[in-house]
Amino acid sequence: MTTTIETPHAPGSGACCTYGPTTANLADILERVLDKGIVIAGDIKIDLLDIELLTIRIRLFVSSVDTARKAGINWWETDPALSTRAQQDRLSEENQALRDRIAALEQGCEEPEERGAGQRERARA
Amino acid sequence: MTAIPSPSATVPADGTPGTRVVPAGAPAAPPASAGSTLTCVFVVCRGGDPAPALATTPGHRGGGPLRALPAGALTAVVQDVPAAAFSEEALRTRLSDPGELELCARAHHAVVAAVADHASAIPFPLTTLYREDGRVRAALRAKEPGLHAVFDRIAGRVEWGVKVYAAPLPAAPETGDRTADARDPETTAETGTAPDRGTPAPGTGRAYLARVRGRHRAREERRNAALRAAEQVDTALRGISAAARRLRVHDVRPAGDQRTQLLNAAYLIDRDRDETVAATLRRLRADPGTAGVHIEVTGPWVPYSFAATGDGDDDG
Repeated sequence: MTTTIETPHAPGSGACCTYGPTTANLADILERVLDKGIVIAGDIKIDLLDIELLTIRIRLFVSSVDTARKAGINWWETDPALSTRAQQDRLSEENQALRDRIAALEQGCEEPEERGAGQRERARA
Repeated sequence: MTAIPSPSATVPADGTPGTRVVPAGAPAAPPASAGSTLTCVFVVCRGGDPAPALATTPGHRGGGPLRALPAGALTAVVQDVPAAAFSEEALRTRLSDPGELELCARAHHAVVAAVADHASAIPFPLTTLYREDGRVRAALRAKEPGLHAVFDRIAGRVEWGVKVYAAPLPAAPETGDRTADARDPETTAETGTAPDRGTPAPGTGRAYLARVRGRHRAREERRNAALRAAEQVDTALRGISAAARRLRVHDVRPAGDQRTQLLNAAYLIDRDRDETVAATLRRLRADPGTAGVHIEVTGPWVPYSFAATGDGDDDG
């Protein structure tokens, strides 16, 4: 059973000749305006490293400002990469992102008790 | 880190080691003196006339009107922006503010999209800034062959964004556990002895582990099926695309959307094939092979993801 999630600009909706900018999801826009496009060195430009860090965090941010605020999460005010500049090197950042992702994948469908048991089981194998 | 303010130096107050362009023979005045402007480039186009788009989109807040800046066979769409608000420091601060970042991103994207309606357009990333128009022309002149190659590649084509998510899994049902129990060889009579590879476990513990193992296996199967579905989606769309890019997969978000993203890709597809795109997606969504995933589509986009000059910028 597949649930499809329709988008404002689904193919065939007649929007083929116009680019629909304003209604697009912010994460999708940011992904493109920060990461993509033709890169020709400008005279002033924030570092690509900064941009990448921004992108990673903004993707998280886009999730929901309100929910995050309610939960007391205000990383964008304390995060060194956002509030000043990238202080972590790129590799450790990427490592962390990968670790988080693995954790998220493992966590995706498990109950906590099951995880512990799963780890024991793997350790024994 | 504190830098000692010096009346005659242009060292950034926060000690930024980054490159800083200081005009030759510049006096002690800070580089972004009040009243001066920079030229912000949004997009470069070839053929067509971007003029109608210039009147309808404001560009960045606080900047002048959008202008078409001819550069040889190409035309850049630019805006004069206040240097004070677009210095490295100012930008870093402003773009760190989520609200401000959204405004800037949407303003930039609105210009790109509007111009692309009237001319073949290659978007620049957000905040590509030059000291003055001459620097823009020089930069475009230097890159012109590469730009023409990009124009040739994207002509008559649009970008579609496709994301595939693992469908949320149902909570592990009790019946599933029992099924796993029954199937697991270690719970049957012939393996009445404790597993030989670890500490002996009492019967209930072994049964528990068997259940866990069964669930683990089922989970692995679901995950593999979802990954296969993502590959199936990618393969099908590549089949109708002139080019395809895998983008960085988005992380699970801390709140709200907890779905796991399996595929984030962009496809460069002929503008007149959007019915084919729709049909392909309908077919994919109806396919039993994709039952465990959600497919999300966005577009058509100006081909942001295909604007690079070929420096291998695929994100993993």
